[in-house]
Amino acid sequence: MKTISMNNVHKAFGDNQVLKGVTLGVNSGEIFGLLGPSGSGKTTIINILIRQLTADSGETFTDAESHEIGLMLEQDGLFNRLSVMDNMVVFETIYGLPRARTIEALEKVGLGDAQKTIVDKLSKGMRQRLVLARAVLHKPKILFLDEPTSALDPLTARGIYQLIRQLRDEGSTILLTTHNMEEATHLCDRVVLLHGGKIIEEGDPHEICKKYDAHKTLPDLEGVFVQLTGGKLQ
Amino acid sequence: MRHFKAIFRKQFLDLFKNIELLMNFIIYPFIAWLMGTLASPNFDGVPPDIAEMLVAGMPNMVLMMATMFAGMGLIPNIASVIAEDIEKKSLRVLSMAGVKPISYLLGVGGVTFLISVFSTFAFGLIADLASARELLIFVAAMLSAVVASIFLGAMIGILARGQQAASGLTMPAAVVLGFGPMLAQFNGTVRTLMTPFYTQQLNAIVDYFVGGPAAAPLWQSFAIIWGNVLVLGILFAVVYRKKALAKRA
Ligand SMILES: Nc1ncnc2c1ncn2[C@@H]1O[C@H](COP(=O)(O)OP(=O)(O)O)[C@@H](O)[C@H]1O
Ligand SMILES: [Mg+2]
Repeated sequence: MKTISMNNVHKAFGDNQVLKGVTLGVNSGEIFGLLGPSGSGKTTIINILIRQLTADSGETFTDAESHEIGLMLEQDGLFNRLSVMDNMVVFETIYGLPRARTIEALEKVGLGDAQKTIVDKLSKGMRQRLVLARAVLHKPKILFLDEPTSALDPLTARGIYQLIRQLRDEGSTILLTTHNMEEATHLCDRVVLLHGGKIIEEGDPHEICKKYDAHKTLPDLEGVFVQLTGGKLQ
Repeated sequence: MRHFKAIFRKQFLDLFKNIELLMNFIIYPFIAWLMGTLASPNFDGVPPDIAEMLVAGMPNMVLMMATMFAGMGLIPNIASVIAEDIEKKSLRVLSMAGVKPISYLLGVGGVTFLISVFSTFAFGLIADLASARELLIFVAAMLSAVVASIFLGAMIGILARGQQAASGLTMPAAVVLGFGPMLAQFNGTVRTLMTPFYTQQLNAIVDYFVGGPAAAPLWQSFAIIWGNVLVLGILFAVVYRKKALAKRA
């Protein structure tokens, strides 16, 4: 039984056929990477899985109620004029959690000292970390992270990787998207490569690299992708 | 209840950080107060006869500001709050966390209503109405109008494609409902046209206090205001169900 699955899912926006029969499955307790160039339909897949979009055809399954899901999406929905703490308290109140949990979540992402900072004044990296703190506050069963480290400096990104692994070790199932192949290689237990509306390869990232001898040409999965798509990454 | 509390708190805190919104609650009572001060018979440089005229017309002018508040202040306020939460995807995050649209709307509308209560009493006190009974009638009419405006503003906020569009959509409604009653004072045709609208009737109740030309029986004005509340409430419910706020999130 998969925690998340999609079977032959199609989705078009007008004439733009974005997903042309996507099939994937995510096991409980793994970090699953959805890889593909920008515009390949990664966010669309997440939106379908969290039931914010409906697929044109095919089956989807997400083994969690919406309040058992943690989200980190491109548009983060933070309340810009409120402080870091007040943003968290909205969700603490919604979930009926003790204050200690909120403080714990903020400290986990390194925002323990920024509680009073107004969200508008946060750096991009701090903002991402706040969204992550909000996403994990209620210890969700499933975490959807859409490009969690885009536009972050490598150091901040590494901090986020560590957190994501920690969350997996605590039992969450994590689906993340990225167009950063190197990131995926190091972080994910399993990946799928999305291209042309279909999954063109899947498995353990290191195994995939070996299979295509990619570690000898271009670094890691990027080389696989270039081989598979004839070099057309964009 | 937890969900309502969370939204109410968020909205309450946000109000004091959102200068534009806050101004809408403060500016109308402030202008009313300013007019009251200007109309003071002791005001330097104002000839006594003009001062007397100003003083006589004062409650009317002050309460006109209350009408404008109900129309031009509130409708854009609530519309922009909702449209912003939709546009920034905050509402999606809330609804994914399990917040039902009704809790969200009660929280957001509740803050608007609460602040409107303060504004209403401010108007009542500045207008220096003749009796406690008049104050009570004014407060009742005003708060009914506030509810109507909240329904209308919320409806626009849900329908609009983003905050920018919401402010575009509220403009005509706010002008008709806020300015209409003012124009109606000088023009009989406008007065007739404005009769079915709640802000006009709010103004008519004010006229009733000062014995103005448009004075209609009180019960009639209240009936029309509550009719407006009912119609807007039903329209709101229809939009709310059709647009399924959760889906728009
Ligand atoms: N709501 C939408 N309406 C129209 N087109 C959309 C919409 N969402 C996404 N698309 C299109 O679908 C394609 C895939 O988008 P997306 O899923 O965001 O890609 P990714 O997340 O991989 O960058 C893009 O061509 C994008 O323009
Ligand atoms: Mg995307």
